[in-house]
Amino acid sequence: MLQITLRYIPYHREVAFLQIKQTEVTSVKAYLPIFYIHVYTAVFALLGGFTQFNNSILTKYKKLHRAMGYLYFIVVVFFAAPSGIFMGYHANGGFLSKISFILLGSLWLFFTIKAVYYIRKKDIKNHRHFMMRSFALAFSAITLRMWKVILVYLFHPSPMDIYQIIAWLGWIPNLLLIEYLIRKNINHEKK
Amino acid sequence: MITILLFACTNKESKPQEETVQEQTQADKNLNGFWVGDFVAEETKDGSEFVTTNKLNIAIKSIINDTVSAQSIVAGNKRPLSGKINRRNGKTTFNLAEPGDDKYDGTFEFELVGDSLIGFWKAYNTNLPVTKRSFKLVRKEFSYNPNLMLSSEGDYTDYVDSKSKTELDTLEDGKVEEYTDDYYRQASESVYTLNSSTKLLTEKELKNLKKLDLEILRNTIFARHGYTFKKKSFRQFFDPVEWYVPVSDNIDGELTAVEKTNIKQLTRFEKYATDNYDTFGR
Repeated sequence: MLQITLRYIPYHREVAFLQIKQTEVTSVKAYLPIFYIHVYTAVFALLGGFTQFNNSILTKYKKLHRAMGYLYFIVVVFFAAPSGIFMGYHANGGFLSKISFILLGSLWLFFTIKAVYYIRKKDIKNHRHFMMRSFALAFSAITLRMWKVILVYLFHPSPMDIYQIIAWLGWIPNLLLIEYLIRKNINHEKK
Repeated sequence: MITILLFACTNKESKPQEETVQEQTQADKNLNGFWVGDFVAEETKDGSEFVTTNKLNIAIKSIINDTVSAQSIVAGNKRPLSGKINRRNGKTTFNLAEPGDDKYDGTFEFELVGDSLIGFWKAYNTNLPVTKRSFKLVRKEFSYNPNLMLSSEGDYTDYVDSKSKTELDTLEDGKVEEYTDDYYRQASESVYTLNSSTKLLTEKELKNLKKLDLEILRNTIFARHGYTFKKKSFRQFFDPVEWYVPVSDNIDGELTAVEKTNIKQLTRFEKYATDNYDTFGR
């Protein structure tokens, strides 16, 4: 993932993914700056997230947890998610993938705000559950690309056909799995 | 005495030179032009059967008396060709040779039979994979036409660059067997529906295309200009095309503004497809 981010350094108009995005780059003024905001910030959301669900860090290094949490919150709510929604509006693959990416960005924003709202109310359980949902969506950055590799290997589809599929496959299963884990957790606590 | 001799010599030499300015006869002019056809392998070094047939163009520039000046254009190689024409007993035969400073140079011997030139090529270098080829050429006109398209009837499967794919198969007795499958890339209908020479291609039109489609679209521009392809992977698609006549190994100065822009765009998409299609990333 870091490698993918590093491809976009230094700042360039025609590199990697932007090679097939020149229509947007030239006709939508805001596209390029917002694209770069997304690429440069979203990777921190992923890094921040990895440390947050570790129990020993949670109990022993509360300050670290809080600092990383703020980083995650600021990155997601002010940068990565809004820029993601904007890019979703201009996504490849037509209407189907646009809807998916806009929905993904909006839910990511919503879950993250909700999670912080609960911790402010000292509701740790709900905070944890919403952060799990939030990170499940952040993790789509990985799963989406992973599904692409698998599907291309198996079926050799055309690039945009696969794009429409992974747009949804990248995050729906993540969210379903997390919902399952949350339910299991709740039932477990009830017993 | 010596001076007189020298003088006589120079005089003698200048005489035939004047004669070569002679006009071509009408019968000879009728032979000028492009003669195009299949260049079929006849003798191979190790008896290999897997050799390709290329498209050969013998371009006859001029025939003056019995001296022929021509060019051979095949597989990305344009070579000067010179030699003699013989008209004897109602037969018209040619003996032409390439200079010999290229690996694939050789001699061409052929006969005018009806409307065709039929004959053989023999390589100077006997260590080449193919040392003898036959051909039957017919006259072809060439002019650049941006509206020419590949046919919807063509086979756009890439047989040259197959990719092999290893798969695992679990047998009934529980053993896992590994087998390799050759996978041939297949171009989409875009290669005969999109014209890359007459209008600017949009990103929207190209986004859903695979690398092979993009490569063929880009090279169709070159084919329309009569470019002779060095790469076998491109010759396989254009050699069978009726209108395609290889006439030149450099067409850089002949591309239109639209074509130049499209080539840039297509190259960018090809690069993206190479780097991203089957790898982790987007």
